[in-house]
Amino acid sequence: MGLRKLWLVIERDLRMFIQYKFMLIMRGIWFTSQVALFGLVVNRMVQEAVPDYFHYYVAGVTIITLYSTAMFIGYDIFEEAEHGVFEYLLTLPVSRRELVLGRSIGGGLRSFIYIGPLLVVVLFILGVLNPLYLLVAVASLFLFAFGVSGMSITIAVVMKSGDKYDILIGVLDALIVRLSTTMYPTLYMQRATPAYAAIANFNPLTYASDLFRWGTGIEGTLQFSPLVGVLALFTFFFSFTFIGVVFYERRLEGGSWQ
Amino acid sequence: MNLWVLYCAIRLRANFLPNFAFLQSGVNVSNPPIIQTSNLTKKFGKLSAVDHLNLAIEEGEIFGLLGPNGAGKTTTILMLTTVIRPTEGTATIAGFDIKKSPNKAREMIGVCFQEPKLLWVSTAWDVLNWHAKVCGLSTQERKRRVKWALEETNIWDDRRKSVHALSGGTKKRVEIAKILVQRPKIAIVDEPTAQIDVVGKHRIWNMLRDLRAEGSTIILATNELQEADILSDRVAIMHKGKLLVVDTPKKLKDSIPGGDIMEVHLEKEAPDKVLDELQAFKEVVSVKKMVSNTLRLNLNQVEAVTPRIMKLFYDQSLRISTIYMSEPSLDDVFAHFTGLTLEEAQKE
Repeated sequence: MGLRKLWLVIERDLRMFIQYKFMLIMRGIWFTSQVALFGLVVNRMVQEAVPDYFHYYVAGVTIITLYSTAMFIGYDIFEEAEHGVFEYLLTLPVSRRELVLGRSIGGGLRSFIYIGPLLVVVLFILGVLNPLYLLVAVASLFLFAFGVSGMSITIAVVMKSGDKYDILIGVLDALIVRLSTTMYPTLYMQRATPAYAAIANFNPLTYASDLFRWGTGIEGTLQFSPLVGVLALFTFFFSFTFIGVVFYERRLEGGSWQ
Repeated sequence: MNLWVLYCAIRLRANFLPNFAFLQSGVNVSNPPIIQTSNLTKKFGKLSAVDHLNLAIEEGEIFGLLGPNGAGKTTTILMLTTVIRPTEGTATIAGFDIKKSPNKAREMIGVCFQEPKLLWVSTAWDVLNWHAKVCGLSTQERKRRVKWALEETNIWDDRRKSVHALSGGTKKRVEIAKILVQRPKIAIVDEPTAQIDVVGKHRIWNMLRDLRAEGSTIILATNELQEADILSDRVAIMHKGKLLVVDTPKKLKDSIPGGDIMEVHLEKEAPDKVLDELQAFKEVVSVKKMVSNTLRLNLNQVEAVTPRIMKLFYDQSLRISTIYMSEPSLDDVFAHFTGLTLEEAQKE
């Protein structure tokens, strides 16, 4: 596999991302309003039960923003299918593996770059107690972003329908985000329905959110070992990036994109 | 009279001179074909989009792939470029099997698609610059070629505009500029002049000739017969996924019995004896007496037989007042092999 070609695929996705100015601005406004409006108000409401809910929520919203921007690559896939750019990419002197891996990394990297400034603000709000923990947390966010990007590409090429993808992503978003610890601790999920907490234990968003809170010192202890968390996110990244290549190669052929 | 015959003969030679362009332009017929397909087949369900295609394309030639929409041209291109896998058979691109070594095969190829493959957010400059990078050009060479291709295709002034702001013709020129930047060993151009105005067409034809002169082999997929006739060294005609015939445009046209038509208006009526003598030439398929001392001859190899016909009229003291000649077009060739005009085949 050529690193130069891999980088060129990544570079292309980064360049394209910058062009989506409207989306980027809107996501920024969404993030700000979630933190400055919803976060502050809900914090007042629930602070008796969770004393530092605002910080808990800010970390969760950061992960949700990372998740949603990494998912955006799937829309690029449909845009490309619609304009036939897919076929063009497949005729280039780039191997399928370089193409998929490059796109998966590109999709993750651009979402990471996007939340970079937001992350700085968040870290300013939250403060950093242990730089090593933070490093582990940021590394796990990388794995998470690449994994989400790979998942988005895999779903897009399996669905082959922009409308269905849009609907599925909406449902998936509701399920994945709600069945995770991004917005509320496991304890309250356990109290509501134990099944919710059980499912949340297999959710990559849970690992990403909890590791991030642990890395930034919001949560002193983790329900799982940090190593287990990193391994879980690595498995998530590996599955959708490398196994996704197989799907990608098999499903590309024959058109029928809607 | 003598001068007139000589004039006619010279005009005929000029019009019907065999096309030796592919010999002058470096087509290497002694080397193995640069593209070879063996029973290349693609089925979509029960439909055979391409049916056991066997082709050999020589290095350095402009090879026309002709046929109506749905003939299988684009599917063939997509298989050769490894975008889709053949259901059966295979092909080699510069010695690389498209199934076994698709990555190597793709390194040899540059494609200009029928519909420009561009994302609306990109600019023409972005598209070409990234394409040049992926094709492995050095920074200096890339900058030089991108600038040159943008100027050559007349889109330099629009290079920073988003693709969605460009007209259909300009988008198509961006698509063509990709292969100009790349200068691939094998350039595949699918309907290169669709949506392009007449002046632009001639520019693009010249660009393709220049590309070939620089060493590229060109596969020209088109349903524009005139374009195929003007540019191609050889033409393959496809219909319903099958290859009907492959040869030089000249030989294909000559293959139609009596396809060349000569209408000679004489100053007096030709006696029957002259008609018999004309009919005796092996190249003369039929001779018909029309109104007003006009003879209509259906011929093969018009350039070979015309001097003898002129001599016969001269010997018989038959003065020619006007002469009209036409050669068959590739449309006639298509009709000859399919029984349909290209338009009818398109509808079918």
